[in-house]
Amino acid sequence: MTSSFLDREHTLAPPGFNRFLVPPAALAVHLSIGQAYAFSTFNLPLTKLIGIGHSTPGDWDLKQVGWIFSIAIVFLGAAAAVFGRWVERVGPRKSMFTAALCFSGGFLVSAIGIHLHQLWLLYLGYGVLGGCGLGIGYISPVSTLIKWFPDRPGMATGMAIMGFGGGALIAAPLSVMLMDHFKTPASNGVLETFVTMGVIYFMFMMIGVYSVRVPPPDWKPAGWSAPAKPKQLVTSANVAVEMAWRTPQFWLLWGVLCMNVTAGIGVLGQASPMIQEIFSGRVAPAAAAGFVGLLSLFNMAGRFFWASTSDYLGRRNTYMVFFLLGILLYSTVPTFGHLGSIGLFVAAFCIILSMYGGGFATIPAYLRDIFGTYQVGAIHGRLLTAWSVAGVLGPVLVNYIRQYQIDHGVPKAQAYSITMYIMCGLLLIGFLCNFAMRPVSDKHHHRGSST
Amino acid sequence: MNARLVTLWLAVGFPLLWGVMKTLQNAMKLFH
Repeated sequence: MTSSFLDREHTLAPPGFNRFLVPPAALAVHLSIGQAYAFSTFNLPLTKLIGIGHSTPGDWDLKQVGWIFSIAIVFLGAAAAVFGRWVERVGPRKSMFTAALCFSGGFLVSAIGIHLHQLWLLYLGYGVLGGCGLGIGYISPVSTLIKWFPDRPGMATGMAIMGFGGGALIAAPLSVMLMDHFKTPASNGVLETFVTMGVIYFMFMMIGVYSVRVPPPDWKPAGWSAPAKPKQLVTSANVAVEMAWRTPQFWLLWGVLCMNVTAGIGVLGQASPMIQEIFSGRVAPAAAAGFVGLLSLFNMAGRFFWASTSDYLGRRNTYMVFFLLGILLYSTVPTFGHLGSIGLFVAAFCIILSMYGGGFATIPAYLRDIFGTYQVGAIHGRLLTAWSVAGVLGPVLVNYIRQYQIDHGVPKAQAYSITMYIMCGLLLIGFLCNFAMRPVSDKHHHRGSST
Repeated sequence: MNARLVTLWLAVGFPLLWGVMKTLQNAMKLFH
């Protein structure tokens, strides 16, 4: 493969190119890197590498293994922020290829770490290298999709980012199947599974690398023209990334994303023990795993549904729905728990998780509305640092408040109520950030070429 | 062009559908 094949100029679409070829290219990348959400399937097996069927004193513990995913998420945000401008400059093909190398390389370095039983190699492999692959891969198709679908930017980015949610649905059963397949009396199959997944994901991401195309400058869909009178909060101007992050609008959107993600991510991480503790004796571990799967499904579906809906409803109104409906649901969830209504409890969390996914998928189109298409991918990359912060804040809030309450004599079934009310408070902050959103001042607009 | 479009969508759609089905199978345990 020559470097020229990867360059932006070689990805320019020929006349008559069908733009619906681009979303599956983006999906190939996002379905792969979405594996990250299912990394927890490896947590227990990684604590039994020496003992095989059980943990021995020489094995790593869960706390040590848990850091692999945390490091990956931190590097996801950092890589998206740092490499955003590079991704915009080199185009989607080279950045997707780099993401594939990093993500698959992360698996292979981790496999060496498993072979040598060196945990730092897993931190470096899946955590740092894989995390960079996650960040670059996540933002690489976003700007391209927005340019291909100026008429439906929410739907287009929603389709791609839906893949990140869907990746876990594929990776979780795939990991279990592969570990079962490779299991021997001398190995629990994790090493072989890591190598296999590294190879499979590299090949799958290559589908995206080969099929992605960028539109010619100023390309428009046939028969479509930009509205003569743009909607409120939809700009026809452009703001460069270096200017964008100095505007209040960037930080308001940062707050919107951070609060929306914090409210969902803590629940997603604690969903299984939470439903078992609230409905003690009525929900078995297998059923709780089903609940987690259902939440992942709604997380994925919400990404496409809400982002597509935002094309009609408007971006700000869509987030208003997230925050107001989120506050309503979070404030009533403790009541559903007290009433012992598993159905209402599950339904409420399915809607909450659909809005969590929807928040991720709608934000690129919101950025495009506020800052234009010029460097929207790079701006999106910087905004994803909100995800890194929320990735720490959400689980900490849920876990620590629960533990604090239990330590102070609150029954386990009621230990989540305060957390739910705190989530309402976070969503209220998000609502206020969204409410304060105004168009960017003319003085910040980019005056030069926008291609 | 249409064959390419269908192939690409099948390539990404099939694994996703498989994942959704497996998840739904698990989720059914919640209601048993």
